[in-house]
Amino acid sequence: MGYFVEVEISPDKCAGLQECGACVKVCPVNIFEKRGGMPGVVATNEDECILCDLCLDECAPGAITIGKKY
Amino acid sequence: MRLLEYESKQILKGYNIAGPRGETVSRGQETSFPPPAMLKSQVPTGGRGKAGGILAAQSAPEMGERLELLFDTPIHGFTPTRILVEEQIELRQEFYLGITYDTAAKLPVAVFSQQGGVDVEALAKQQPGQVVDMHFSPLRRLPSFQARELVSRAGVTGKLLIQLGAVFSRLADVFLDYDATLAEINPMGLAADGRLIALDCHLEIDDDALPRQPEMAQLAKEKGRFAGGRAVSDFERRAQEIDSLDHRGVAGRVIEFPGNLGLIIGGGGASLTAFDAVRQHGGQPANYCEIGGNPSVFKVTELTKHILSKPGVKKIAVIMNVVSNTRVDLVARGVIKGILESGGDPAQSVAVFRVPGAWEEEGFRLLSKYGVPYCDRTVSIDEAARRAAAATTAQ
Repeated sequence: MGYFVEVEISPDKCAGLQECGACVKVCPVNIFEKRGGMPGVVATNEDECILCDLCLDECAPGAITIGKKY
Repeated sequence: MRLLEYESKQILKGYNIAGPRGETVSRGQETSFPPPAMLKSQVPTGGRGKAGGILAAQSAPEMGERLELLFDTPIHGFTPTRILVEEQIELRQEFYLGITYDTAAKLPVAVFSQQGGVDVEALAKQQPGQVVDMHFSPLRRLPSFQARELVSRAGVTGKLLIQLGAVFSRLADVFLDYDATLAEINPMGLAADGRLIALDCHLEIDDDALPRQPEMAQLAKEKGRFAGGRAVSDFERRAQEIDSLDHRGVAGRVIEFPGNLGLIIGGGGASLTAFDAVRQHGGQPANYCEIGGNPSVFKVTELTKHILSKPGVKKIAVIMNVVSNTRVDLVARGVIKGILESGGDPAQSVAVFRVPGAWEEEGFRLLSKYGVPYCDRTVSIDEAARRAAAATTAQ
């Protein structure tokens, strides 16, 4: 869990790695990783999120949410 | 990392740049090298000749005496563990060949003069016509024809021009292959028999390139190359390890001092300015450091924890010039996280946070949440240093 940023993936809206997986590919700071058929959030990397929104641009609306804790 | 003369000359030899015949001698070791010879103290500093670090010996007894003298003569705080013994060479002329980076042009620059064996910077000021230079591409390197063009501008012609052009081209290869920041042959001697001989060589390897220069990295770790100088402390070594945890940015070039104010400062000249200003205002820095190049939050976190782990350090000052490629919010995250993970309170532990620039609104919002005193660019580095010094002296 990050101190400053919280990244969440909605399993209902995420298309999964087989169909999409764009978040894992585009994130420049490795917030996401492959976990079976779904992407997962690397909790120890959450605070590295640079708020570039590349994942939000690539993924289905609402599949990923990024929340700032400040 | 500055190489010793004999180490540099070994590299030159591999590039077919000749040096004088010679050998190195350790203390207590006898040399079979026949006199007359030049005896040269192997210490990582310039100005050896003026400081008594280079002597001539005409006979074997004189050589023995002078070797002992050199081993006992510290040069600018360094004591040699090896002396280079070389043949004396009858010279017709001396030249200067140097390559370094022109940081304004962002290119390597080759510098040549027909007057070798002198301080080239002083010569360039006093007699600018005597020094010629040329930028070259690190991708296309410095081909012989281009090197000849440079040397000819200094008035060299004929066979000597061809010889010097070839040597200069090979020196550029050394410079680029070894990730050097300086490759200098001064003087390059023209012997009476027409050979070009590198009489002295100064190679500086970029410390940041050591991970891709394993031989040089190994050499840097070797103890006993010379004595004296300042040894790297465990605290500084740990900071270097933190810096190497992640390739992004710099956060770990640290020099330890005996004070109580931890410093996270950045930006070449700005970090020196901040450090001096803290001292000027009566602050006692626990360390000098450099951060920049947008280090990861993780690296800044670890650096903060490391600085706060030093006994007596209760507060840290974070001072940088206006940043463009480093993000204020990411530095702020690292500092706050480091303090929290050290069990501290950011509001109490940060003496001042003065990092204006990219993403500062985001950074300042974050700092506000944790009650950290921050300031923007309207507050000078000097004023930030004064506040930091005042915060620690009031402890």
